[in-house]
Amino acid sequence: MTRYIVGRLISLLFVLLVVSIITFVLMHSVPGGPFDEGKQRLPPAAKENILRKYGLDQPVWKQYLKYMWNVLHFDFGIPYQVPNTTVAQLIADTWKITAQVGAMTIALSFGLGLLAGMLAAYYQNSWIDNVVTFTAMLGITVPNFVVALWLILIFSVRLKVLPSGGWSEPENWLIPGVFSKDWILPVLAYSLAPFSLVARYTRASVLESIRADYVRTARAKGLSERVILFRHVLKNSLIPMVTALGPEIPNLLTGSIFIEATFRIPGLGKFFVTSTFNRDYPMIMALVLLIAALWGLTYLLTDIVYTWIDPRVRLGGAAGGGA
Amino acid sequence: MAQSTTQAAVIPLAPTAPILRHRTLWRDAARRFFKNRLAILGLTIVAVFLFLALFADWLAPYPYDKVHFDKVLLFPFVDPNFPLGTDEVGRDYLSRLIYGARTSMTVGISVQLIALSIGVPLGSLAGFRGGRTDFLISRLIDVMTAFPGLLFAIFLITVFGGGLEKVILILGITSWLGIARLMRGQLLSLREKEYVEAARCIGASEWHIIWRHLLPNAVSPLLVAVSFGIPAAIFGEAGLSFLGIGINDPLPSWGKMVGVSSAYVRVYWHLALFPTILIALTMLGFTFVGDGLRDALDPRLIE
Repeated sequence: MTRYIVGRLISLLFVLLVVSIITFVLMHSVPGGPFDEGKQRLPPAAKENILRKYGLDQPVWKQYLKYMWNVLHFDFGIPYQVPNTTVAQLIADTWKITAQVGAMTIALSFGLGLLAGMLAAYYQNSWIDNVVTFTAMLGITVPNFVVALWLILIFSVRLKVLPSGGWSEPENWLIPGVFSKDWILPVLAYSLAPFSLVARYTRASVLESIRADYVRTARAKGLSERVILFRHVLKNSLIPMVTALGPEIPNLLTGSIFIEATFRIPGLGKFFVTSTFNRDYPMIMALVLLIAALWGLTYLLTDIVYTWIDPRVRLGGAAGGGA
Repeated sequence: MAQSTTQAAVIPLAPTAPILRHRTLWRDAARRFFKNRLAILGLTIVAVFLFLALFADWLAPYPYDKVHFDKVLLFPFVDPNFPLGTDEVGRDYLSRLIYGARTSMTVGISVQLIALSIGVPLGSLAGFRGGRTDFLISRLIDVMTAFPGLLFAIFLITVFGGGLEKVILILGITSWLGIARLMRGQLLSLREKEYVEAARCIGASEWHIIWRHLLPNAVSPLLVAVSFGIPAAIFGEAGLSFLGIGINDPLPSWGKMVGVSSAYVRVYWHLALFPTILIALTMLGFTFVGDGLRDALDPRLIE
């Protein structure tokens, strides 16, 4: 197992290396640069100074090696758009907020989605099933920025009960430091799509395992319905869901540009757009590497969790199914 | 006597049997598909939007870029000349919504065509050849998967500019991974079949085997993947256009219409409502068709 994990981590490092090279070359190979003048021309000497300060006068391969050397020392450089801080600091500050939205969204959508999907499968073709199926359909067919717009229209423009934007504003705390009114609409808007996905998967997967022989056996030996549903059915239906839904987690944790733009949340999202627009090389590199690393780690974790909930699966070896 | 029975059994069957079986497989699938009411509903919705997209020039009352300066931000159902109102510069909203269908369908279908034309050859090659080719293509897929797609798309658009063709190209080169992975998996199992061995024995070339013997057997999962890929591409375009870096003005796009209208929507609710309904309906249509196709073609359900 340890050998398998080490092997996977090494191949993840390889992927990160290739991703970093591609990004770096791509960034530098397109015409134009971060300090191109608009209408006001800089004196050539001043521009030369700026380029020298950021090392942009060097050949690309030299710049890349220098960048990677610094990254190995946990120095991700200085963002061109906010020069009075470091990339690491900027990402730490903004990602904290984005990850907060993401964590609440994961908790809400996965929790409710599991419950709703199970109930829908258990009471198949009842009104519960219909409500869950309809809501899930809505979540899959309507983009989250549209959901966000309508939530704002209904709850803050019409009903005036919830704020339309901002994040943890001092006047909007319901319980200071614990829960803010600002969190409700963004998390709801962001949760609908993953909720739908989880509910649909859970429903299909529970429907499949609820007819299994071991459920009949469990009923026959007189177990309560609750024990059957949670201990036997849910546990077995979780297995296919781990691989299907695991990859959603890094997506949710890195946030949605759409949600953050609509609700004016000062998170990581806006830097996706501004960094590429402004040719903020260090920031682009950091974002790409962050997301690629999160992806790789989540896939690895998914595979490990897989062996944990399904002991039949063995990783790396020839025995068992493999993930 | 033994000879005559074998002849009687073999001769009439040999030419017809494979053709007959081939046709019933698809006919069975079609029958299952058309028995599914949601699938028919989905197909109807998709057909209506395709019709709107193809005949927008005849169906729309005005060209999509015709500006009426005296009719800015008209509410729907007020002026019979503008049944669904006008937008913030006085363009007929109904016409723009109809042309929006053309944008969405063009994007959805073209992106999938690009994805197919990259994903199918790469995936087939990896699955069929195995070994070093498979290793290289699989690592390429790994790297591309780890690459943040949206960031990549935004980057390419800031470099090359937006616009319909570029949005299609960019979404296309970021969405072939699923199809490649699917094809690789399919061919990995299909290439072990006896008929492949037989084809090799009579000296068929690699591409002949892939094209004539393996692809037809992988068509059904591919069809399902494409029917879910089209709405995903439409979603992607709507998102980019919502951010203001997708389709350029004056070409209409439902995503852009929602995005632009968010500034006026507090009063002029119709500007957001109609494109929302159309996006949702399109997604619904394709999702129902995809679900229906999957259920109809899934061999596990044949019992």
